[in-house]
Amino acid sequence: MTDSTLQSQVSLSFNRGTLLLTGLDRGQLPTEPDGPVWMWDARVGAWRCDAIHYASARTILGRRFGSRFHDAVLVPDHVGWAKTDLPAPRPEQQEALDAWLRGGRRGQVIMPTGTGKTEVAFAVMAETKVATLIVAPVRDLMYQWHRRILATFGYDAGIVGDNLFNIKPVTVTTYDSAYIHMGEMGAGFGLLIFDEEHHLPGKCRREAAILSTAPMRLGLTATPERSDDLHKDLDWLIGPVLYRMPFREAKGSTLADFDVVRIPVALNDREQATYDECSRMLRHFIASRRKELPGYSWQDLCKESGKDPRARHAQRAYYLKQSIEDRAAEKLRVLEDIFRLHYGQQTLIFAGSNAMAIEVSKRFLVPTILSHTRKRERLAVLDAFTKGQITVLVANRVLDEGVDVPEAKVAVVIGGQGSTRQATQRLGRVLRRSGRIRATLYEVVCEDTKEVERSRKRRRTDAYERTRHYRV
Amino acid sequence: MLTSEHAIIEYRAGRATPDRLTQNAHRHYVDYAERMLAIYQEGAGRQRRWLHRDIEAVFADEPDCPVRRIQAFCKLLDDASTFQSDPSGKSAKLRLDVFSRAARLHPLVCQPDRLFEHEEQASKTQIAEELGTPWDQIEQALYADVMAFQTLEGFAGYPNAAAFLSRYNVAQLQAALYRAESMTVTAGEDLKTIVRYAKFARLLHEIARAGISTYRIRFTGPASVVRETRRYGVNFARFLPALLACKGWKMEATLQTPWKARAKLVVSADDGFTSHLPPAQEFDSALEESFAKKFGPARDGWQLIREGRILCDRQKTFIPDFTFRHEDGTEVLLEIVGFWTPEYLAGKRETLHQFRRERILLAVPQRSLREGAAIGENIVTYKTAIQIPPLMEALEAARSKRPAVASQ
Repeated sequence: MTDSTLQSQVSLSFNRGTLLLTGLDRGQLPTEPDGPVWMWDARVGAWRCDAIHYASARTILGRRFGSRFHDAVLVPDHVGWAKTDLPAPRPEQQEALDAWLRGGRRGQVIMPTGTGKTEVAFAVMAETKVATLIVAPVRDLMYQWHRRILATFGYDAGIVGDNLFNIKPVTVTTYDSAYIHMGEMGAGFGLLIFDEEHHLPGKCRREAAILSTAPMRLGLTATPERSDDLHKDLDWLIGPVLYRMPFREAKGSTLADFDVVRIPVALNDREQATYDECSRMLRHFIASRRKELPGYSWQDLCKESGKDPRARHAQRAYYLKQSIEDRAAEKLRVLEDIFRLHYGQQTLIFAGSNAMAIEVSKRFLVPTILSHTRKRERLAVLDAFTKGQITVLVANRVLDEGVDVPEAKVAVVIGGQGSTRQATQRLGRVLRRSGRIRATLYEVVCEDTKEVERSRKRRRTDAYERTRHYRV
Repeated sequence: MLTSEHAIIEYRAGRATPDRLTQNAHRHYVDYAERMLAIYQEGAGRQRRWLHRDIEAVFADEPDCPVRRIQAFCKLLDDASTFQSDPSGKSAKLRLDVFSRAARLHPLVCQPDRLFEHEEQASKTQIAEELGTPWDQIEQALYADVMAFQTLEGFAGYPNAAAFLSRYNVAQLQAALYRAESMTVTAGEDLKTIVRYAKFARLLHEIARAGISTYRIRFTGPASVVRETRRYGVNFARFLPALLACKGWKMEATLQTPWKARAKLVVSADDGFTSHLPPAQEFDSALEESFAKKFGPARDGWQLIREGRILCDRQKTFIPDFTFRHEDGTEVLLEIVGFWTPEYLAGKRETLHQFRRERILLAVPQRSLREGAAIGENIVTYKTAIQIPPLMEALEAARSKRPAVASQ
């Protein structure tokens, strides 16, 4: 090391989602065994590492270079809340907050839907008083956070997403927007909150965590597990699990009891005829292919559909079958019965597709919340539903997670997927604590088709334990 | 541009081949393309979902046509179209109105009884009367803002069937680049344009000499040095049309395959992809062209070499517009400054400092000097075009001077 390099400044800055360390030559490694992995970037003549390592990099460099070290990374703003309108935390919410504070302010809190994850996040924000970015799965939830921050702190948060780009010390965004913009906005936040954190570990979306310098991180979910096991990466993307409230504890205490009622419907003659015709065609095609290729599968069929019109017709037959199941006319008749039975009660309907949601809406003249529903209409519909001015709301998958729909006592699933997470999240909607009326979840499924199979799979999950199952 | 859901890529032996319609294998697609364009040209007032269904029907009996190709055609046609967008939210207002009226009548039943007396059709007729519009019109308008139900207003189209198909080919190439981690371009002639447009696409580059007048440029993004990422795939895709408009290049991109392996995508100027941008010379400065003509190939012992050399040091690349070589071997580089914002000139000054070992002349528009942005010596000023006499003077002055020696 020469004299001049000894005296020169070692400067750390944020550069499009990474940290740049200037003032050291290629031969002068900033690496330490327990520190971040720095890479020499010959393109710019500096050391580089991912922004997620900011907290440890700052500590290590400060220790090693003392006054020579200059930290040029944007310092997060202090946020003085105009008001803090938080109800006294329930015991489990207090436990979650304490665990997060004790655990180095970097980690995950796992609580069932309806037990106040948002309140825990607000308690954390009230405590940290620092520039915060909240990442939510979909636009609805992003706007919901915006609304609730305004109600709780009197703070009009910035929004990044839904064609808006308005960064403020406290900003809400979606996972997709965070992935796109984190390279630009990754510095300047002290705290990241990942709502429904199981969305984060995807190959691209994880970059929202990697490209940010925020030292404090909070992940919230009811269902951390992913079938691809990637949730293990949350341990370093966010931090370890610091608090976990078992689902069983929640039931009966803060959540309402509920029944699950499965209503099998039959296809009408016309639907059944088309359905059978499609099945026959599909079976024939696969059988004929299997004569030549014994292991011929659905995947093979999809691959062939680009080369063989017969395969493409078979593929179309399959989708037509699905759509017949999804939109069976009988489901509308059953819905009418449910409306009669639960007259005057707030009822949520989950459709398996946009098309079915719109069909229900046009039949009964009840409002929908779909992925493309704009902010103003969304708010108006949710508001009318909350006030009881309308009693029925149809949604596609948008309301699957976390969107507050208070006081719905009846939910009807008419199509959808059989995955564990969807079942838990959807149940959570009906189960929000309110009064003593038992909630009811109806599953309207086509008989003797694959939908029945999916319903069985749904019922096996933890969320459905200790509920009453019966057929009507 | 397409999305990655439209991409059709074949991976074989470490090579990635995006879907491409060729004259030999897909001659009959010209007919399909004409029919597709006709569907949209005659489709004003029709809903998006019916247009898409008709496009699908064009290929009903075509053996060679993956579903994604059809969807990609729809996307490219939609991209050149305007659909009724309902910006004032008329449908949304109508919905709120109709649904709040219907809430009083809920539930609308098929078989009225004493408890539930609001029959579906009668109730709808009643609401229609309240609103003063026939019910089937209301039902039409109720969800007219949903993508699938939007109606076509206009179709800007493509010049002809061949242009549409070649846009498809480029779009598939771009969609393949969404998977790219890095891109290496070997180029000579149009290098300056290539680097400039890569910068517009926010890519970082490393340049190495590959031959007498060819260079190899590796394009990546900031985080690429830390880990392999597809983050800059969109930037590569955006940059591609500019590259395709250039001449004499070869490109090799490293893609991530869906099976977490790597595959190479190799394309060159000889592959005949057509950019929708004009050729490189046309969108590059016209000033340079006119000057080269005026100077001629040689004058007073100086020979003019267009874009002969490139200077590079880290992210600073200096690609002079002209190189002048004197008979005695002295080389002077000339850069024509077209823009003249103070920031731009400050950047130029920095570049000159970085390359102070070279003899560099700047041609600066006179206006910028009056702005008070002095940028040191070795300046030739011009009003509308560079004049030869002051340039020759400056060239001789530069030749007589020894270039600055690095001070460190």
